[in-house]
This record gives sequence, structure tokens and C-alpha cells, in this order.
Amino acid sequence: FGLSLPAVAVLLVALLCLDPHCRVGSAPICAHGPSGCHIPSLADLFDRVIQHSARMHSLSNDLHSEFEQYFLPSKNHIGKIYRKCHTSNILTPNGKDNAQKLAREELTEVILKLLMAWRDPLFQLHQSMAHQQDFNSFSSNKALEMGDMAHELRKGVEKVAEKMRVLGMLGNSVTGLSAAEAMLPLSDSGEAMSDYELLYCFRRDSNKVQNYLKILKCRIVPEHDC
Amino acid sequence: ATSHSFFSSLPDTDPSRGPHFTGCRSREQETFRCWWSAGTFQNLTEPGALRVFYQTKNALSEWQECPDYTRTVENECYFNKTYTQIWTSYCVQLRSVPQNITYDEACFTVENIVHPDPPIGLNWTLLNVSRSGLHFDVLVRWAPPPSADVQMGWMSLVYQVHYRVRNASHWEMLDLETGTQQSIYGLYTDKEYEVRVRCKMQAFDNFGEFSNSIIVHVAQIPSKESMFPTTLVLIFGVIGVVILLVLLIFSQQQRLMVIFLPPIPAPKIKGIDPELLKNGKLDQLHSLLSSQDMYKPDFYHEDPWVEFIQLDLDDPAEKNESSDTQHLLGLSRSGSSHFLNFKSDNDSGRASCYDPEIPNPKDLASLLPGHSGRGDNHPLVSRSSSSIPDLGVQKTSGVEETPIQTQPAVPSWVNMDFYAQVSDFTPAGGVVLSPGQLNSSPVKKKGEGNEKKIQFQLLSDGAYTSENTARLLSAGVPPSPGPEQGYQAFPTQAVEGNLWNGEYLVSANDSQTPCLVPEAPPAPILPPVSDYTVVQEVDAQHSLLLNPPSSQPAICPHSPNKHLPVIPTMPMGYLTPDLLGNLNP
Repeated sequence: FGLSLPAVAVLLVALLCLDPHCRVGSAPICAHGPSGCHIPSLADLFDRVIQHSARMHSLSNDLHSEFEQYFLPSKNHIGKIYRKCHTSNILTPNGKDNAQKLAREELTEVILKLLMAWRDPLFQLHQSMAHQQDFNSFSSNKALEMGDMAHELRKGVEKVAEKMRVLGMLGNSVTGLSAAEAMLPLSDSGEAMSDYELLYCFRRDSNKVQNYLKILKCRIVPEHDC
Repeated sequence: ATSHSFFSSLPDTDPSRGPHFTGCRSREQETFRCWWSAGTFQNLTEPGALRVFYQTKNALSEWQECPDYTRTVENECYFNKTYTQIWTSYCVQLRSVPQNITYDEACFTVENIVHPDPPIGLNWTLLNVSRSGLHFDVLVRWAPPPSADVQMGWMSLVYQVHYRVRNASHWEMLDLETGTQQSIYGLYTDKEYEVRVRCKMQAFDNFGEFSNSIIVHVAQIPSKESMFPTTLVLIFGVIGVVILLVLLIFSQQQRLMVIFLPPIPAPKIKGIDPELLKNGKLDQLHSLLSSQDMYKPDFYHEDPWVEFIQLDLDDPAEKNESSDTQHLLGLSRSGSSHFLNFKSDNDSGRASCYDPEIPNPKDLASLLPGHSGRGDNHPLVSRSSSSIPDLGVQKTSGVEETPIQTQPAVPSWVNMDFYAQVSDFTPAGGVVLSPGQLNSSPVKKKGEGNEKKIQFQLLSDGAYTSENTARLLSAGVPPSPGPEQGYQAFPTQAVEGNLWNGEYLVSANDSQTPCLVPEAPPAPILPPVSDYTVVQEVDAQHSLLLNPPSSQPAICPHSPNKHLPVIPTMPMGYLTPDLLGNLNP
């Protein structure tokens, strides 16, 4: 077969680009020097992530309070009904001491597992709230925002974990994220959880994530007699 | 406060109930305590009569007894770090074991019953004092409670500052503050203030107890500039008064002007009331004016006709070469695109566009001969018949039917001079102008149909009749279209092409085209029309009887070499003053 000149040129270019050095990718701006470029330190990264988790928890608290105005459970109703969240299967330290005693890798893994487990249920929550007439658009927007924040937080924590690994602070035992699979929010009986239950559980879990991150930061970045 | 924290926030010490829990609280989210009361059951007040059992809703659901009954405090159960699990549901029960009765049960999670300890170390510093010495600002500082682990962030606290005038009943609340200091603005110097602060966990709803109050007080400093405001008030007062005066003068300007500068009396005409002139009827005016010496004979030396028509001719050459009537009717010969050639006069008071005034097609139509009964409003002649005193034109219906002048074909327009002659009156009082008079006797009788209908098309844009139609009209010269034919719509298809770009058609039928075409050989077909008729006599009704003028040589006004006098029959056509004098009653 005869190849015309343009075809040959195209082929050459393609071959060249197979060369990894020729590959065009996005390079960080700060790659070539620290001058004038602020690379966030691990402490900064942790601060950002913790701030984000605080906002997320605050949002979940607001939504939960709004829900309670609609449902108005009786005084003892809340406590009596034991809500088993779908994340109850994940073993989480239930106190400050327990969390401090946990290894860094495990703590990181727990955080990531929790965040991953909430990816789909939050989306489902937003869908469900958007369809219902009881809630105004603010609530459903908050639910959407909450889902986005959880997603961003997960990405952020993954970056932090990556950085920690690079700095050698984490061992290689973080099998991580492959193990964390998205879970379906099902209660014991297998039924789908209601919106109120989802909000209750997420409020609790977001508080867990926030506190775990703080403990982790304190252990990774020692400061203030932490 | 939401209901999930109800249990800890309501100190329920109602004694009328039976044994019940009065509350469970955690101070630092690491331990918690529960309190109960025997209530009305006095026989259960001994220690040990009532016991607390708890259960954590985890996998193992088992009721266990309270790990530690506080010895120092009555009816308190203390859960230390070992037994405290955050994010876990607890249920506690108050039982009387011998009788195996459960008097009360409550469920909660620990993070929802956290009430932080009050902040410590509250103090204040003076920020500044206002210029007047009446107000001051302070900065209040405190430290977080020592039991809360804020360094690590296990508890993230927000604070709320309250203050009030000492011994007042109402506390002022400031916004939540995440830091450990806050400014208070706008306090009065001579008053004593009480300030206190409390805190709660961020994103939770349970406030802790208040800290101890501190007293804030700043003595008032007598100001040296106490005179300052007084002088300022004086200055502003004076300025205000001045402004008022100025406003008063301006508002009453008219009256003041009258007082100081009396007006000059306006001229008056003896015997005539100005109001009547404005609003009176024309008959009254007529009688009024005629009774005056207003109509001097020499007033008529000027041509009254001149007053009505204001046309400016740009070109003196033009003026020479074409009669005024042509100009009047807009028949210009040298390539002008306006049929009605009202050349714009700059000071005519029209709109700024160059476009000349375009009279209505109706008006145009009524201008044309034979168009009786239509068009009451002529732009050229005022409508009211009584406005021209003693110039009555014969109004007989006979005149309407059979116009004095024959109605020639269009080319007779060409011969129209600057001034148009009134040919007859419409019943409604309008005046019909005639383009001129022909030699031929009036042929047209009412009702006679003419095969060759000269039809005029008045284009929708009003004033212009295309040259084609004019040409064709001229072609259809023969005697006279009836007045009633008037001006019917000209079928466009009969028009050859559209010459309406201002050009003139050089017609093949040169012989037929009269003076429309500059290049055409001047072949006047129709005799020229005299514009003015001699007033023969005045009849009893003060009407003017006109006689037909003598015939004139046929001169094409467009012929470049010929010159048609503008007003050929001037002396004959005018109403001479002495004649008019005869008309005066």
C-alpha cells in the first residue's frame, strides 16, 4: 500500500507521541522552584481538610434540625429507637483515647472508609429530598451541597494520605481505598433507610470524621502539646 | 434547641412525679453523669433503693449497672472514660430492684448531652473613649475551660458574651465568637456594666454554664470642648434662617416684583375687548372690526392673495422660466423629483427635513379642476367663507355643476401660474381653485360620460402624481373630463414603467406631451389659461361675477426659449381696491 506524504507525517507524529517524554500533560506550576510559589505543607493540608469537615458537619446538623421540625418526634422517641446506620459495620474508635491509640494508617483508612460509604447514600438523599414537596429548595440544595462536600473531603483526605505516604509517615499497610466500597444504605431489615435516618446517621458520622481528622493531625503534625 | 438534647437541657426536678431521671450531662465529651430523683416516693430515698442500669446499643445489648455511684453527690451516677463511648446510643433505666419496677428510662448519645464548662479568666481592657466623653468601647477576653481539650480540637467551642447595665433585667447578647476575645461598643461612661460569657460545642446546641460576671466601669471625664457644640448650633441656626429667607424670597418672587417693580400697563384698543378677539365668534368679530376704522382703503393696495401663499423660489432663473402657478402645483421641468415643487424655504417654520410639505391627496384632488364637493380643507385658501369679508364668490350650485372654466386635461396645470384663481365653492364652504381658464367653452355638463376617461392616479405617498400619469393625462387631452369624473385611481398597468425616480420621460409621442418634458419640443396643445378673471360686476348678494378672459397665445411654459410672464393678466384679474370699495356696505 502506498502511503501519501501526509499520512506518513501523521504516523511519525503519533509514534513520537508514544514516547513518554513527548507526552503532553499538565505540570504543576511550582514544579521548578519554590520561589514565589507556596506549596502547602502537610499542616496546611490538614487544616484545610479539617475546616472542610467542620463545615460539612455543621451543614448536616442544620439539615437534621430542619428535619426534626417536620417530624417532631416525641421526647423519648429518639433515644428509644435504635438506629442502626449502614456504617455501623465499620469499626470506628468510640472515644478520644481509642482513636489516639489507633495506628495512623488505620485511622486514615477508617476516615476514608466512612467517606466512601456515604458517597451514594448522600446522592440518594438529595434525590429523595428534591422530589418531596415537604422541603423547600433550600433543604434540597443543602443536601446536594453536603454530598459535594463529602466527595471533596474524600478527595482531600486521599491527597493528604498520599502526601503522608510520600513523606514516609504512613507505612504501606494502607491497603486503602480498594477495600472501601460504596455501601448501600440498608437497615437491618433490608429496607431502605428513610431520609431522617440517613440524616441522623450522617450527622453522627460527619462528627466522627471531623474528630478523627483532628486527632490524626495532632499525631502527624506535632504542635501545642497536642 | 432540638429535641435530641432535651434530656440534658431540662433540669427536671418536678417532685410530683415518681422516681425519674433529672438529667444526664457530659462536660468534656469524655465522661458523663446522670442524676435522678425519688420524687414523691419518699420510701425510696435511701441509697440503694433505686438503681441505674444502662445499656449501650451496640452489638451486645445487656443491661449493666451503673459503674460508679458518686459518693459525694446524692443520686448521681458517674461514667468515666472507660465506660463512655461517643457516637453510641445509651439507654439508662431507673429501677427498684426488690420490686423489679422500672420507674424511668432515657436514651441519648453522649455528644448530644455535652454542656461545656464555663470559660475562665474573663477580663476587659478599654479600647477608646468617644470625643464627647460619653461613650467608650472595651475588649473582653477569656480563656477556654480547662476541661475541654481544645488544643487537639476534640472539642471545638464557640462563645457567647452577655452584658447588661448592672442590676438591669435584660441581658444584651452578642454574636457567637469562635475566638477568645470580643469587643463591646457603645457603652456609657457613667454606668456600670456586668459582662459574662458561656460556650458550647460548634454545631451542637447545648450551652454550658455562665462564667462569673465582671464589672466594667469607666468614669466620665469632663470634656473641655463643651462649648463647641453650642457655637456649632448657633452657626447652623443662622445658616438655616438665611436659607429660609432666601427660599421665602424666591417663592414669593412674583409678588415682590409687583410690589417693587409695578408692571407697565399693556396697550389697549379702544372699544375692543381682547377677550372677544380671542374667543368671540367670527360674525361678531366681523361686525366689530368693520365698525372700526381698521379697513383703510390703502390696506388693499397690497395684494391680499400674497398673504396666503408663501413660496420661495431658489432660482431666479427658474422663476423666469416657469409660471408661478406651475410652481404652485409643483410642475417643475428640470429634473426635479418633486412634483409639487414647494421649494423649501428655510424660515418657513416647517420641520427640519428637506421634504417639502405634502398636502393630502384629497387636497390635491380638490385642487384640480372640477373637483367640487370634496376637500373642504385647502391648504391654500382659508376655509371660512366669512373670513374674507365682502369677497364672496358666486356660490350658486350652477357654478359647481358647470365650472366656469372648462376642465382641461392635465396639461392645463402646466399653465398654472403662481396664483390660483378661485373657481368655485364647495357646498361646505371650501374654495376650489382652478388652474386657469381655457379658451374653449365649458363643455362638460354634469352627467356626461366621457369615453376617454382621464384618470389620475394619486400615489399613495400623497402629493405626487407620476409624470407618466401626467403625460398620459396630457395625451388624453380631449376636451374635458367631467368634473364628476374627478380623479379616479389610475391603473398602474397603464403606466409605462415607473418614472418615479425623478426623471422625466422622453415620450415618443412628443406631440402629445406638452410642457412636462424639458427635452420635448414645446408643443403646447392647449391654449394657456388665464389665471385671473375680471370681476364683471357685483350682484346684490355681494358675489363677484367673473367673465372669461380673453384668449391668449399658447405658450408652453416649459419651452426653454419662451417666457411666460408670471402674472400675465394682473391688472385684469385683480380685484382693484376701488372695486372693492364698492363692496363695502
